[in-house]
Amino acid sequence: MFGLLQHIGPKLAGSGIALGTVYHPPSQHHYVSIFADVVIGLLILAFVLTAFRDIARLGRGISRAWAIGRVTISEAWNARMWAVPLVWFAICALLGLLIVRGYEPSGVVRVYMTIFLRAQALILLMYLGIMACVTLPRERERHTLVTTGSKPISRLELLLGKVMGLSAAGVLMLAVMMILTWGYMKVVDLKIRHDAQVLYAMQKKSYDNVLRRMPPDTGVKYISEHGVLQAQNYVTGKLSIAGYINYQTNPPSRLLKGGSSEVLYFEFPSLPATEYYRPMFDFQFQVVHALPSTKPVKIDVTLVQRSNPMNTQESTLTLNPAGQAIWMPKNPTSFFSYVNPQTGQMYNPGPVVVKVTCPEFGVYLGFGNGLRPPSDTACLAVSLDTSRTPHHSGMIAPKPNPVITGFKDNGKQEIVGPSIHHPQIKPEVASWDFKNLDQQQIPIGPNGNFTLHMVISVDKQSNEALPPVAQIVAYNTDTPRVRTTLSTYVNEKRITTIKLPSTLLGAGDLIVNLRSEVPGHWFKVKDDSMIIMQPPSSFIWNLFKSEMVILCEIVLIITIGVTASTAVGWPVAMLTAMVAYILGNLFHFVQSLFQSGGLELFDYVQDNRMKHIWYYKIGSFITNVMVHMLWVTVHLMPDFTRYNPLYFIIRSKDMPFEIVVLDMIWTLGCILPTLAIGYLLLRKQELA
Amino acid sequence: MVADSQAIQTRQLSKVYPGFFKSQQVPALTDLNLRVDQGQIFGLLGPNGSGKTTTIKLLLGLINPTSGDALVMGQPAGDQETRRRIGYLPEESYLYRFLNARQTLDFYARLFNMNRAQRRRAVDYYLDFVGLDPSVRGRRIGTYSKGQTRRVALAQALLNNPDLIIMDEPTSGLDPVGMLEIKNMIMRLREAGKTVVLSSHQLADVEDVCDRLVILYRGRIELEGALRDLLEKKDVFQLSARNVSEALQAKLSEVAAEGGATEVQTGRARVRLEDLFKELVARKRSGESR
Repeated sequence: MFGLLQHIGPKLAGSGIALGTVYHPPSQHHYVSIFADVVIGLLILAFVLTAFRDIARLGRGISRAWAIGRVTISEAWNARMWAVPLVWFAICALLGLLIVRGYEPSGVVRVYMTIFLRAQALILLMYLGIMACVTLPRERERHTLVTTGSKPISRLELLLGKVMGLSAAGVLMLAVMMILTWGYMKVVDLKIRHDAQVLYAMQKKSYDNVLRRMPPDTGVKYISEHGVLQAQNYVTGKLSIAGYINYQTNPPSRLLKGGSSEVLYFEFPSLPATEYYRPMFDFQFQVVHALPSTKPVKIDVTLVQRSNPMNTQESTLTLNPAGQAIWMPKNPTSFFSYVNPQTGQMYNPGPVVVKVTCPEFGVYLGFGNGLRPPSDTACLAVSLDTSRTPHHSGMIAPKPNPVITGFKDNGKQEIVGPSIHHPQIKPEVASWDFKNLDQQQIPIGPNGNFTLHMVISVDKQSNEALPPVAQIVAYNTDTPRVRTTLSTYVNEKRITTIKLPSTLLGAGDLIVNLRSEVPGHWFKVKDDSMIIMQPPSSFIWNLFKSEMVILCEIVLIITIGVTASTAVGWPVAMLTAMVAYILGNLFHFVQSLFQSGGLELFDYVQDNRMKHIWYYKIGSFITNVMVHMLWVTVHLMPDFTRYNPLYFIIRSKDMPFEIVVLDMIWTLGCILPTLAIGYLLLRKQELA
Repeated sequence: MVADSQAIQTRQLSKVYPGFFKSQQVPALTDLNLRVDQGQIFGLLGPNGSGKTTTIKLLLGLINPTSGDALVMGQPAGDQETRRRIGYLPEESYLYRFLNARQTLDFYARLFNMNRAQRRRAVDYYLDFVGLDPSVRGRRIGTYSKGQTRRVALAQALLNNPDLIIMDEPTSGLDPVGMLEIKNMIMRLREAGKTVVLSSHQLADVEDVCDRLVILYRGRIELEGALRDLLEKKDVFQLSARNVSEALQAKLSEVAAEGGATEVQTGRARVRLEDLFKELVARKRSGESR
């Protein structure tokens, strides 16, 4: 719903972020969105024009609406509203006890929160959604609306009163549920702390008696002292696999490791669209041989159109002794331009990505930041025939600092440790780039150090008996030669704390590089694996914010339910609210179907001769109309995927308050046109 | 423009309840022209389905007229501000069964934007006024007898001290004592200068309290006027007296006007309203059957 509102605020991960990065040719999507905005705008205009007297009276009318709301709460209470939180709690506590066994402490919070909050949202959406759909029809059936309607109350106040009352009932229930959740989690936390205390004491005793090689787990100590009920505030850096880093250059240069799973990504944000030129990709790497070899070095290159990832070209190139290779992709017209079939106009198809891998084991390809390798020429550039593209210069460089990814395992990237058989082959390095650090927010210890927290998994290919050890190299981009290097034991899947001097927190970016020191030990890492902790927020405050997001969702479904029930009986109102909720949850799905062409399957014809038959044309037309109606309808529905109360709390991370505020603004923005529909339906309706 | 002295005026007011087909449409009221002066107790009579309740709902703006218009206290029917001056007692006591008497009146008082002190005072006063037993005031209305519920409904109609009170079957469900109390209350309202529109099947009640009335039949006015005029027998002269001796009684027929009897009352003989109503309805029905 509400194309304009779709632009409000950041969305959470996993809710359509990917769409924003993919280029889409101009399509009907734009016009549908405009159409939806115009419809909503007209609705609000009609509402303001017809209801301006009622709106003007709202000053005193709010107290009358609240009176209606109080009665609605009483009605909900009479409908055993009080039992809902109790039933919910009994179910969740039981489910929690059955499911949570065997989880480690941090996982316990995630499991409990998933169960408790999901069940809360589900139960309240159902209960209050049903109440919203029946409250007005029930007043009509019992004729209480006759008595109330004879009093000085407007239809707008009546509508608002119902929404306010049920929303208040939702607030009450959520408050009870929040307190019960907090109480339950407090008990769970006490038990976890007690268990952690016992475990830490055992580890310490074993270590003191030289029965254990590793010192007691600081993560366990942290849990025994602080528990797990915290909302952590922390800063993460952007993770990239740095390949092998040569610290001798300034700045340290990066090398792609041959024979590994590393992939180097160059991105060209924009190449000129034309059907005449043929771009030439000019590569130049610094080739470093770690093992004796005289073979020419080969690289595999793949060209990908980001707007259409299926449109690719692949090739294997051989580098000359100077590390150079030139590649001219085939069919440049179809690859580097998009022609609108309706207008014949040619568009730039958007970003183009060049992926490079090196299959040669023992070879490193140096590229630095992608712009100035030691040879002082561009690592990769596209050269154009300037006689055919007069508006562009001869060479186009990619975005600086190309990204490397490693082997991905279950969302995590894996970096390979030292090789047992080839000790001269360097291990891969994971690098975190902490940009724009607010030094005021980073706690500095008495020794002038700040703490880095690391949570990584270890994949032991060999040397299973050895404890994992990591080498950390940290420096500031302003002073790349001033580096702090240290080695530390790694607490697998638990927090490992690292103390770094605060002098690294300069004006530039903080770079933290990690590699495994034990041959055969590989590390699995992700963005959150390396974090700088900030003072934690209270768990209950974080829980409160999650509850607020649930409340926004509930208020919206209540408004939809009440609005639907103004015009139809409660069964149809329930159906309407349910359809609105389902379509609201399918917004991105339907949109992606359109964009990826999924719904065009309706038009699929095995035999093209059918296209000329009249009944095929009629059927095709009807299908087209229905599909577009679905699209328009989805655009007119509120996007329920926006609400994600679990995202932060299950990660024990503090939810930024701006998300709550933006969700509230967005909800209000959806409520207004929904109420407008309700008012316009109820305005001239007979109450008796 | 309606005169200031008129509480209600309708012009060609009609209401047709819609149906899917034209044959399913129900004409409830046809070209109603009604006038109720302020300070009057006005009776609205008619058999079932004659359009009494429809008229009341139209006056309150609960339903929309098909044609014509209605003015209440000088404003179009249904006007929000005008409803502040109106009290309405519906035919059945349509109250929230899950609230008690106090909560019910408190709710309606809130709709008139009364503050807390005003609400408390009004709730206590009108619950006393309608004679609801204090011991039941904290109980849910769902547990009340019909008479007790009726009293609460009556209290909510009077809560805002209205200038115009519209009562649809006010004595429905009340015992004889309760009926008498209602009648007395209506008389007191008249003394306080209030306008009362009374729709009732209890013809004796209407006869006792009404100043003017209309009788509706099939959505049209069949009879309208001052109660006194309507019930008079034009061709019969009636004389009544107290302390009349035997001798005087004999002479009265000859020299009533010259006699020395005290408190002599003369006037037209009256027919009972019930008889008038029955006769009218019987006449209409026989006319329809022919």
